[in-house]
Amino acid sequence: MSDDTSGTLVKTLKDWRVALMLILVVFSIVSIYVIPPGISNGMTGNLQLGLDLEGGSWIQLSFQSEVIRFDTDEDPEYFAARIGDALDAEVFLFEEDRLEIRAPFTREELEPVFEENGATIVTFEEGVSQDTADQIKLILEDKVNNLGTKDARINTITGLNGVTQYIRLELAGVDIATAQQIVGSQGKFEIRIQTVGNETEHVLYGDAIKSVSTPTQDPPGSDVWGVGFTLSESGAAAFKDAANTYGATTNPDAHEIMMLLDDEIVYSASLNPKLAAELKTTPVRELRATTGAGEEGLEDAKALEIHLRAGALPVDVEIAGSGTVSASLGEHFKVMSVIAGLLALVAVAATVYYWYREPSIVLPMIGTNIAEIIILLGIATYLQQLDLASIAGLIAVLGTGIDQLVVITDEVIYEGRVPSENLYLKRFNRALGIIMVAACTTVIAMLPLAVMDLANLRGFAIITILGVLIGVIITRPAYGKIIMAIMSKKPGER
Amino acid sequence: MKYFTYDISKYSVRQLVALPVALLVLSFLFLGFNTLMTGMPVDPGIDFAGGVAVTIPQSTDTPAEVEAYFAGYPLKSVGEGVQGGYYVVFEYMPDEDFLTLSERINDRYPDAKVDQIGETFGKTLQTQALWALLFSFIGMAIVVFIVFKTFVPSVAVVISALSDIVITAALMDIVGITLTLGTTAALLMLIGYSVDSDILLTTRILKRKGKFFEKMQGAFRTGFTMTSTTISAVALMFVVSWIGQIDVIRDISAVLLLGLFVDLMNTWMLNAGILTAYVGGDRR
Repeated sequence: MSDDTSGTLVKTLKDWRVALMLILVVFSIVSIYVIPPGISNGMTGNLQLGLDLEGGSWIQLSFQSEVIRFDTDEDPEYFAARIGDALDAEVFLFEEDRLEIRAPFTREELEPVFEENGATIVTFEEGVSQDTADQIKLILEDKVNNLGTKDARINTITGLNGVTQYIRLELAGVDIATAQQIVGSQGKFEIRIQTVGNETEHVLYGDAIKSVSTPTQDPPGSDVWGVGFTLSESGAAAFKDAANTYGATTNPDAHEIMMLLDDEIVYSASLNPKLAAELKTTPVRELRATTGAGEEGLEDAKALEIHLRAGALPVDVEIAGSGTVSASLGEHFKVMSVIAGLLALVAVAATVYYWYREPSIVLPMIGTNIAEIIILLGIATYLQQLDLASIAGLIAVLGTGIDQLVVITDEVIYEGRVPSENLYLKRFNRALGIIMVAACTTVIAMLPLAVMDLANLRGFAIITILGVLIGVIITRPAYGKIIMAIMSKKPGER
Repeated sequence: MKYFTYDISKYSVRQLVALPVALLVLSFLFLGFNTLMTGMPVDPGIDFAGGVAVTIPQSTDTPAEVEAYFAGYPLKSVGEGVQGGYYVVFEYMPDEDFLTLSERINDRYPDAKVDQIGETFGKTLQTQALWALLFSFIGMAIVVFIVFKTFVPSVAVVISALSDIVITAALMDIVGITLTLGTTAALLMLIGYSVDSDILLTTRILKRKGKFFEKMQGAFRTGFTMTSTTISAVALMFVVSWIGQIDVIRDISAVLLLGLFVDLMNTWMLNAGILTAYVGGDRR
């Protein structure tokens, strides 16, 4: 290599576009394999893999519930309570003019009921409010954790209007039967009473609890949180009997009431004096468990609410869709995907070589393309899990990537002449112009898919958009610099 | 190098656009007819219609045995993979039936991939996919109009993108690829690919100096190189996913492949024809 050539090489490497590309390649390889150490995971390193590559099951649930925006002159609290009674369903007012009905109704069924109560339905949507969705998510997470599944993702799918229509569970390494069990299973809830010392006696089971409220402050505004719940008649009778038999009504502090979920104590407190006095004579159905003051009290109350429901979801759910891939098939898909990617790269290289017959063009082109893929994968480790659809996106990006390098190459070495630097830059900018427009349209075409959350297509769209952006912003400008350095050393033939 | 010569100077504009326009019209009629008959332009897969899809990796069972094993369930089709695998599709069934079916699948084919989509969920996906397609297309058209500012060239680009999607959708149905989330994404991706070569062509013709047919030829060289490299990448993806029984990727790549060939025709006959008429290259 002559001094002149190596001088150009160093100059090219120092160009910020080329340098940025190389730095990002290194950064990506480090992200995939080194920080955190990912070599032990095999060739996929720290890449997040989707269920279809890793093996596991997904379930998407829809809710038997609807969210209604209404219009009435009445106080919304009272109105919501009346609607609840009229429908004999649990109704939850979560905004001034929006309520959630936790039972399946159609708009046609609801309209007359609203009318009778002096209100009109403004909008009707199937789904739940975000608060409820978050609560359901919490309950499901709790159940999944109990199972000891190491890798679970639970996502709520919420529209722009703030109504959550679906919740999606992805459980790696779990078969579909287990996944269905997790969704359907309920824990065993029990209330016990302390008798003597550490001894306790059974009072009632979860089936005696008729309803559970969301956390409230009692008295209102006191910042003391708790959860109210209602017992069935027989449950209330059992509760009264136990409290009297074991002496909790006369000496509450020595006989705490305990709540257990799957035989673990989740709450324990003594009867308050007023309730203790009342229980001496009459069964009480409306009870309240106080958890404490402030933020901590609220958090405890939320957890207790879930426990009281014993893992039952506040809204009935239906399975909208589900799927499963065995670990061995996932492994097979993984290998095939890698083969598909590599062969696609080889095919691209062969085609480009066939057209240009010039290693000094083909090598930088393929090199740039590989760099682009590596950077895309590196960034994806932080953003997006790879599933089969996003691998298709990856290979599609490889196709557009090479397209645009061809545009640059043909534009700058137009008519086989080596242009002067000025002319080169002019042509290169024109090529970038074409590329920008093409990139823009691809991004716009993919944007709806990235935003809409159509199941696994989101990955495809995000990977495609990411790939196009990396190409336009980082690798193609760098390629322009490299090819210029090479062309200025060569007689302009093609 | 070995380009076949692209010399459209010997054809009139009418001759150039005749074939693509005829195919576009036929495809529209075909899709319209399908929509009238079945409610969907292209036969929907389980993603949109609801149902159960099962991918069975290598198995020694014959197709008849597979069919017999699943007798009693609403079997829609049994497809064979290259290496003795199967791709079994069921129509929508109630949850209870699906539970027994999943046990049955698990008993005999524990390594199968199973996907189930409910009917209402499928409907939701359908509506959303339709919106996505619409938004993408309008977004693309807006970008094109902003960039070229002139009416006819912009319309030419938009029409050839539309034609790519419509003809490809018709071809899909003819060769028996169902409309799924994956193939919808592929159709959207075609918008990107299609516009790529159209923009190259339009820019070269409108913004470069030189003789019209030489510019046309130059654009074709570049454009053909571009599309052929993409085709080679996608073709390989198709072959590998076909052998490896990765249906998602196989369907996406099959649609892209069809679309890229359709795009060659639309770019270099339809779009080039309209541009020729617009610039007046026809008169020489």
